Amino acid sequence: MADSDTLTRTREATALAVPWNVVVHDDPVNLMGYVTWVLMKIFGYDEKKAAILMLQVHQLGRSIVWTGQREKAEFYVQQLQAHQLQTTLEKAA
Amino acid sequence: MPTLDGGLRIDAEDPRDWQLLKSITHDAVAGDEKLAQRLGNLITDEELAPDWREYVIPDLEEGFSSAVLHVTTSIAAARLESGGGPGPLWITRDEAFHWYSALNQARLALEDRFHFGPGEWIDPADLPPLRRAAFLRSQFDCAIQGLLLEHVLR
Repeated sequence: MADSDTLTRTREATALAVPWNVVVHDDPVNLMGYVTWVLMKIFGYDEKKAAILMLQVHQLGRSIVWTGQREKAEFYVQQLQAHQLQTTLEKAA
Repeated sequence: MPTLDGGLRIDAEDPRDWQLLKSITHDAVAGDEKLAQRLGNLITDEELAPDWREYVIPDLEEGFSSAVLHVTTSIAAARLESGGGPGPLWITRDEAFHWYSALNQARLALEDRFHFGPGEWIDPADLPPLRRAAFLRSQFDCAIQGLLLEHVLR
């Protein structure tokens, strides 16, 4: 019993520690300047960094725009979706 | 055109211009699948999805609907003020995001229905009337978004 408890707690702790990626995907409508502006507004990135991420979205179809703790990642995804950007959340590899 | 207080002014010249402005909100609500639902469906992680459905999607839906309602009211008020003829429509800095959001919803719904793709490869003269009208509305919406982005939001 004690072994099982330890195993469970260890797994939970590991799951919580896994970083999460916030991923923005390309779409046919959003303007490139708008995507850059949203990334600057939400993450506080400077224009150069935001533009590089926007170009990744445009050219590669997706870009990991932020990685970190799950709760914060969820918040960012919600914010990006509120700005109508196609955004997903995935566990970092 | 940009205003001194950081907003935008659109000058309608005749009833057709008001009709074109009104089409923004008409198009925005014409999509088959609600935008909030579609965005929410991108969250497929089984731990997150139920919370997303319960809390986030309704919030997104409310925000998107509120933007469309705001724009509908602004256009109706400006049109009434001008008697449906020549007259200005003002977009203040505070309203700019509502406008951008409604215009984006309109363009997304048009894209879903007509699948234009990158607009620069399309010659409107080659399109049948219904598609041509939709394409021109989408281009108009995009132009206003560009102005909002350049002169108001940034």
